[in-house]
Amino acid sequence: MSAPLLRVDDLEVQFFTEDGVVRAVDGISFDVREGELVGLVGESGAGKSVAVSAIMRLVESPGRIVGGCIEFKGETLIEVERDDDGEPYRTDATIPDGELRERIRGREIAIIFQDPMESLNPVFTVGGQLREFIELNRDLSEREARETAVQMLREVGIPEAAARYDDYPHQFSGGMRQRVLIAMALACEPSLIIADEPTTALDVTVEAQILDLVDELQERYDTSFVWVTHDMGVVAEICDRVNVMYLGEIVEQAPVDDLFYDTQHPYTEALLDSVPRPDETVEELNPIKGVMPEAINPPAGCRFHTRCPDAREACKTTNPDCRDVTDGVTEHRAACIKHDAFETAYEGSPPLETGAGGGFDVSLSGGESDD
Amino acid sequence: MATTHSDSETIGSESVDDAEQSVSSVEARVGWRYTLAQVRKDPTAFAGFIIIAVASVVAVVTTIDAVVFEYLAQYQVFAQFGVEKYWLAKTVWMSPTAEPAGTPTLLPPVGMENTFGQGTWAHPLGTDDRGRDILLRLIYGTRIAILVGVLATAIGLVGGMVIGAVSGYYGGWTDDVLMRLAETLYAIPFLVLVLAFIAAFGRSITFAMIGVGVASIPKFARLIRSRVVSVREDEYVEAAKAAGVRDRNIILRHVIPNSFAPVLVQATLQVGTAIIIIAGLSFLGFGIQPPTPSWGQMLSVSRNYMIQNPWFSVWPGLCILITVVAFNMFGDGLRDALDPRLNN
Repeated sequence: MSAPLLRVDDLEVQFFTEDGVVRAVDGISFDVREGELVGLVGESGAGKSVAVSAIMRLVESPGRIVGGCIEFKGETLIEVERDDDGEPYRTDATIPDGELRERIRGREIAIIFQDPMESLNPVFTVGGQLREFIELNRDLSEREARETAVQMLREVGIPEAAARYDDYPHQFSGGMRQRVLIAMALACEPSLIIADEPTTALDVTVEAQILDLVDELQERYDTSFVWVTHDMGVVAEICDRVNVMYLGEIVEQAPVDDLFYDTQHPYTEALLDSVPRPDETVEELNPIKGVMPEAINPPAGCRFHTRCPDAREACKTTNPDCRDVTDGVTEHRAACIKHDAFETAYEGSPPLETGAGGGFDVSLSGGESDD
Repeated sequence: MATTHSDSETIGSESVDDAEQSVSSVEARVGWRYTLAQVRKDPTAFAGFIIIAVASVVAVVTTIDAVVFEYLAQYQVFAQFGVEKYWLAKTVWMSPTAEPAGTPTLLPPVGMENTFGQGTWAHPLGTDDRGRDILLRLIYGTRIAILVGVLATAIGLVGGMVIGAVSGYYGGWTDDVLMRLAETLYAIPFLVLVLAFIAAFGRSITFAMIGVGVASIPKFARLIRSRVVSVREDEYVEAAKAAGVRDRNIILRHVIPNSFAPVLVQATLQVGTAIIIIAGLSFLGFGIQPPTPSWGQMLSVSRNYMIQNPWFSVWPGLCILITVVAFNMFGDGLRDALDPRLNN
């Protein structure tokens, strides 16, 4: 297997707030290969967005990347190590700010943001913004950039692209704006596009159109994607491989089919169980019990043990890393000590009373799920 | 695009209805044309706009006459065409600065009578204490009022915008240092600051103007910073960052245009304030120096003759009043036009 396009290794991002240090991303590792669509799934607050903004070094104060290494096409986007006092510092391998801005941002890696309503500057025309972006990143003249911009708009399915070029963002609907953002991301033919919940703000029919569009464009341009979402349906539809995040950690990594048919981590299982189905009424929904604990003070041991139906005493002490759980048959890794790969005392350990053990009976008092 | 596909138009064509809806229902609510159309619907603001426009035209024409012709007059070649300072005024009427021989002083306007004589059509608004035509001096005084008012505001606006935008965008210690400096400036009374500025650099209209501009920097800086602080969190700013845009261009192209509306309104109102301040300085003798005509300085001279010829002081006072009120009316209208909550 060739070297991955993007490799994230043991990434740690922390937010230094007045209440304490929030460990938003706590040592995650994943990679993206050429032409691959990798999903990053989890509940709200799991650290998905922070993780992807760290890839482009867009984490803002009080947030800070305090550890780990991100490599892209053999270049080190960031590498942070700790000195003798435990103070994190950037190593010399990290490419400088100016170079990152000039060569990587926009040209090699593009981001599609969550809210299409907010991601376009309201005071400039849609075409003007697209044109500027192309001019900036592709060294074209203004006229050439304009032609490319109109063509890109056409390509993402904006009808009468030339006429809509001079419209302002508020004259576009949500789905159209999302198309514009996709056009913007694709315009410079980047190798990697990071899509941060791009369809969350859209209704399902538009969402389906956008997903089809992405699928088609991805095939044509052979662009790799990191797709952040909390929607298991979207994951099933477009992703090749999936990383499931919980409280700043990746708990399961698997090719998309294995994740759905051979789920290895109790959290993923619960997440899949909680997806609402049209044939279920509210009473039949299976939300995950409780809310995700604060990342300031994560539970000791396995972070999910407070809500896990399979939790046992041993889970309180061991925080498992992500390990291969299928003996190398597929690339399926999970961080749960119930698997043999971990060789812990799980089998002999007594079950924990987490309130989640006795099935998922829903009541108003206990069923607040944060999703 | 490197790859041109013939089928590219077909992708996502199902969203056509989607698009048509939004085309017809909304008209552009940004840009100059829309704002001006909005101002036109408001009679008060439109009246203010007309007055400002007329005054500006007068100011431009008189500036050309007084400044450009003076420059041309230096060259002998143009002298034979009769080119000199106040050439227009002299051709049509009489010089606004030279004291004409034999003209009665302190004449009242047409149809009035006072101890100095009867008003004539030769001097519709009367003459001043040296026999100069008041109407002409008022016309030439417009130049100082508008030019100096606008330039002083521009200095404050640009200075305030840079300081406020940088301060709000970067935050942290940059913000602290710049804003504490601005507040220090803000703590000193406006007129005292301007007088101190003139005392330090010299008694001329240029320094008076710069002084007024500098003194109004904190007002603009604080105003724009308050907007920038919220605009910088908008997603299109982050999107621009992710696209590899330089900080300088993010501030210029994304942050400032989106923070500009309240500043524009403030600037329009500030022009009125600046005109009053400059007139006040001229009144005190710190601004424009005689014989150049200015409203404030005319007021200053006229106060000695208030009993004998009150008209002398009424006219420049009226001019200042009308201009300042016009700027305020226009500013109010602009505020309404730029306020999205009032647009429906």
